[in-house]
Amino acid sequence: MIWLELDILRRALLGCILAGILTGLMGVFVVRMRLSAIGYSMSHGAFAGAALGVATSLNPLVTAMLFASTIAFLIGPISDKARLHADTITSIVFPLNMALAFVFLTLTPTIGLTSQVASVLWGSIISLTNSDIVYLVTLCATTIAIIHFVWKELFAITFSRKLAEADGVNTKPFVYLIIFLAGVVITFSIKLVGGLLIYALLFNPASSALQFLDDMRKIIVASPLIGVATNLTGLGASLFLDLPVGSCIVLVSTAVFATAVFLSPKRRRKMDGDRR
Amino acid sequence: MKERPVIRLKDISTVYEGERRPAIRDVNFTIEQNELVYVVGPNASGKTTLLETINGLLLAFKGTITVFGLNVQTHGRKVRCEIGYVPQDFMVGPEEPYTAFDIVMMGRYGKIGILHRPEEGDHEKALEAMKLLEIEEIAHRPMGKLSGGQQQKVMIARALAKEPKILLLDEPFSNLDPESRKKIPSLISRVHEEKELTTIIVTHDVHSMLKLCRRMIVMRDGRVIVDETPEKALIELEVMQ
Repeated sequence: MIWLELDILRRALLGCILAGILTGLMGVFVVRMRLSAIGYSMSHGAFAGAALGVATSLNPLVTAMLFASTIAFLIGPISDKARLHADTITSIVFPLNMALAFVFLTLTPTIGLTSQVASVLWGSIISLTNSDIVYLVTLCATTIAIIHFVWKELFAITFSRKLAEADGVNTKPFVYLIIFLAGVVITFSIKLVGGLLIYALLFNPASSALQFLDDMRKIIVASPLIGVATNLTGLGASLFLDLPVGSCIVLVSTAVFATAVFLSPKRRRKMDGDRR
Repeated sequence: MKERPVIRLKDISTVYEGERRPAIRDVNFTIEQNELVYVVGPNASGKTTLLETINGLLLAFKGTITVFGLNVQTHGRKVRCEIGYVPQDFMVGPEEPYTAFDIVMMGRYGKIGILHRPEEGDHEKALEAMKLLEIEEIAHRPMGKLSGGQQQKVMIARALAKEPKILLLDEPFSNLDPESRKKIPSLISRVHEEKELTTIIVTHDVHSMLKLCRRMIVMRDGRVIVDETPEKALIELEVMQ
């Protein structure tokens, strides 16, 4: 087992808890609104932003967050203007981000894939600072407050955007809000597991909760709890087995999802129905 | 006494994105308050497009459409707050995490307004609509686990829970069992009379409402070809055929 200073461990634990809550919450909306591409699109946006930071001698983590947040902010309006599903736009933005990242890295061949740029892709929970924790706490409180205040509208949109619109709900700002919040949450959680694995944090807890629960109100509580539990278990496994934290979290999270699918009463009923 | 016009369509044509041919073309008619109109026609004749153009979910590319004197193109949301809409064949899969009551309650969200929470009165209205449809006992069951007919009743209850001034029903009887097919049309007719609703019903089942409505619009190839009383409309249709 690797010896970690108490302070680093404390921040790592807090990071796991806060990122678990955030990705678990946003994952419910991302899964329900079928925004599957947002995970990898945002993480690679952050990667491109970090590369831009290196190329322009700015703080790569700040530019990563700014770049990804800007993309998250633009996806909703662009998809509406182009009259395409937001998932189509995010799928197109994903390789665009990678292309931009490589261009930015080529501009600074002496620096190339520095550890700061690479940490956006691989994650580095050890490098979580007190400021990162403050950002995560602020984002967590803001996200929970927003969801609380506009829950009614989000609830209706996750059921059917068309019907919500037919009932007089202005769905557009709420859809934009969710895409933007998901983008920001991904960007701020990226240090935990890295851009390549963040997808699992977003999808697995929400998808696992959906295997067992029939009520959105319960799912929105269960998903962050599963996120926190899998993050902490992954962190523990990483410490005991001396393996990368991000990989351990994703392995635990995937195991939880697989178990949920296997034990799901919904699936069992479906299989019984098929047999009949 | 002459009732005042509630819905007015003037030279309305609607084209779906990527299509060249309008789904409805040059449609003109006026529907007055408390009228119950029946829209019939073969598949792809533009019936659903007509309803979704009236509530502004689809934007007409030509003509003007007003509801309560408001242009739907510019005041769509305000208009939709007053319209109860039941879409065609809206079915929910077994894994959808919403109860029947949730779905009915959602019908009131536009009226409740942003940042406001549903109050006791809203819950009562939703439950009242479910009682009217005799589905209150399934209120807390997951929507996806209900039968097609029950889901359809939930969707009708959703439209009524809103306390709309206009009802737009797209094939509302298609998934109902034979007993409900007899009961629900009368129920809709009763609600229409009691609440003085302006009601448009799109259906293939010409006979379900024949005795209950006073006007029938027949559509073909996106055009209104007959706009008459049901008796005259059926005679005209026979002559055409």
